[in-house]
Amino acid sequence: MAVTTVYRLRDVRRSRGTLGDTRFVLQVPALDIARGERLALVGPSGCGKSTLLDMLALVLAPDAGGELHLLNNDIGALWQLKRADALAALRARHLGYVLQTGGLLGFLDVRGNIALPGQLSGRADAAWVTRLAERLGISRHLDKHPAALSVGERQRVAIARALAHRPAVVLADEPTASLDPLSAQTVMQLFIDLAAESATTLILASHDRALVERYGLEVLAAQLAPASDGGIVSRFERTRR
Amino acid sequence: MSTARVFGLAWADYRAEARLSLCAVLGLAAVLAPLLVLFGLKFGLVTTLTERLLNDPRTRELIPIGSGRYTPAWFDELRTWPGVAFVVPRTRQIAATAELRSADGRAVIVELIPTAAGDPLLARYGVAEPGGGQLVLSQPAAEKLGAATTLDASIGRSRAGREEYAHAVLNVIGTAPLAAFDRDAAFVPLPLLEAAEDYRDGYAVPALGWPGLDKPAGARQYPGFRLYAGTLDDVAPLRAQLVARGLEVLTQADAIDNVKRLARNLDILFAAIAGLGGIGYLAAAGAASLAAVERKRRELSLLRLLGLPTRGLLLFPLAQALYTAFAGCLLALALYFGASAGLNLLFATAPGEQLCRLLPLHALAAVALTLGTVALAALAGGLRATRIEPSEGWRDV
Repeated sequence: MAVTTVYRLRDVRRSRGTLGDTRFVLQVPALDIARGERLALVGPSGCGKSTLLDMLALVLAPDAGGELHLLNNDIGALWQLKRADALAALRARHLGYVLQTGGLLGFLDVRGNIALPGQLSGRADAAWVTRLAERLGISRHLDKHPAALSVGERQRVAIARALAHRPAVVLADEPTASLDPLSAQTVMQLFIDLAAESATTLILASHDRALVERYGLEVLAAQLAPASDGGIVSRFERTRR
Repeated sequence: MSTARVFGLAWADYRAEARLSLCAVLGLAAVLAPLLVLFGLKFGLVTTLTERLLNDPRTRELIPIGSGRYTPAWFDELRTWPGVAFVVPRTRQIAATAELRSADGRAVIVELIPTAAGDPLLARYGVAEPGGGQLVLSQPAAEKLGAATTLDASIGRSRAGREEYAHAVLNVIGTAPLAAFDRDAAFVPLPLLEAAEDYRDGYAVPALGWPGLDKPAGARQYPGFRLYAGTLDDVAPLRAQLVARGLEVLTQADAIDNVKRLARNLDILFAAIAGLGGIGYLAAAGAASLAAVERKRRELSLLRLLGLPTRGLLLFPLAQALYTAFAGCLLALALYFGASAGLNLLFATAPGEQLCRLLPLHALAAVALTLGTVALAALAGGLRATRIEPSEGWRDV
């Protein structure tokens, strides 16, 4: 099977602020991410890893001029043309999200939350959802509302929801930051295993380099440098391949 | 995502916020129910008054002022005019009285009122027209005469200083209610009145065996008549025709105009109140919709992040507004039916009359207008919702 390129980035930039030392520029000169890869964007707070994750998550527009493709879709062009619904359709179909604090809908029960991506993408797979729930140990919580669950359980539900529609990519923003260290390990291991099982590309942002290396994720670290105008330039590049 | 699924999602959220949803439903019903009752009263009142006018033959009566000299030929012509439903000549008022006496000695002096087949006044109250030797009493006269079925009618005249009386035996075949005539009176066929007039004038009436002079030949002249138009709308043109002939007539045009004017004024009043209520509700519901979208910003942006299209974001508040509209309409209609039943019980005037009433069409129109208003208000929230960015849901710490 040929290796599918999920993301293709060339000279992607995103700048923030306009004056002197408040100016911040994120740069990705060249980055290709293949199906099934597991990447971690690592760096201290403010290094731009969230900005890059947002652009990969199709919720933040890159500056004009670069090239950002998701599965051969020209994302930059869609942003330029303000094709919000086309971007939404791509998010629904190809992307799964794990938020820092679950990001579950309080008015739906666990079953409804997990079923949501399937409904939005038109790709429901009941057997897979059942299996996810079993693997994540949340089968007995399916009829409960998120408010009745612990933070750890909610995060497991969030992982099930992110994988439910078998997306090409799952993006996670500090997925275990709100958990205690012990459950953080369990949840992270399940997350990695399930993503591998479904051949899903995994991209997560974390400030904890040791944690992501322990789980065998390739680290993509931010390289910060002062810019000529007094601002900061942050570059993300692969260090090894 | 299908429209049905968005409605399902919106319903799940609507149910999760049951208390707020209930408040929205109560808020809508609180505006709609009084408007329904008000409209029901307006419609019921105007309908009742109009029906009363339509049902009361006196509103179709044209009464000549003063006395004239109308010949049988003139009446034959009048009967051919369009809009004339019933006409019967009157004899001279002074000659149209008689004393009625029952077998047990009760007596009353009555006006004799000419009648004939098709008399609308008697027909309205289901009383049969009297034929020869028969009469219909007015209720006041009937009360004074007891339950007599046979009466002796005496008509007096004075001739050469002597009081003379002619008698006729008449059978009572019915009583006209107070609403039809409120003085002592007897409805009798015209020939009896003509006989009474002749007798008073000193002539003989051979048919009844009454003595007197021979009546000279010649057409009788009548001083007046009882005239009824076919419908309310025939009254005005008929009056104009009579006026053109130099006849002054009294009609109930005022009563008809008054009801029409009242209906128009009530329409304006209702439009003003409904307009104020509707605009107020529109503003309140619009503000509530905006507030709801702000309250649900996190959830909506999450849905946006997960790929809910713009249409879905617009539909979400709209669906919830429609739930409120349906529940609010049902509640308002239930309240209306309770209130109208109470009002109709309290102000019942006549059997079959309803002071407060709505036609199914009115209820449908109310529901349609409510749905429109609520949907318009929800558009404010819906448009706000479509501007929510998916990135807001992505970082909801």
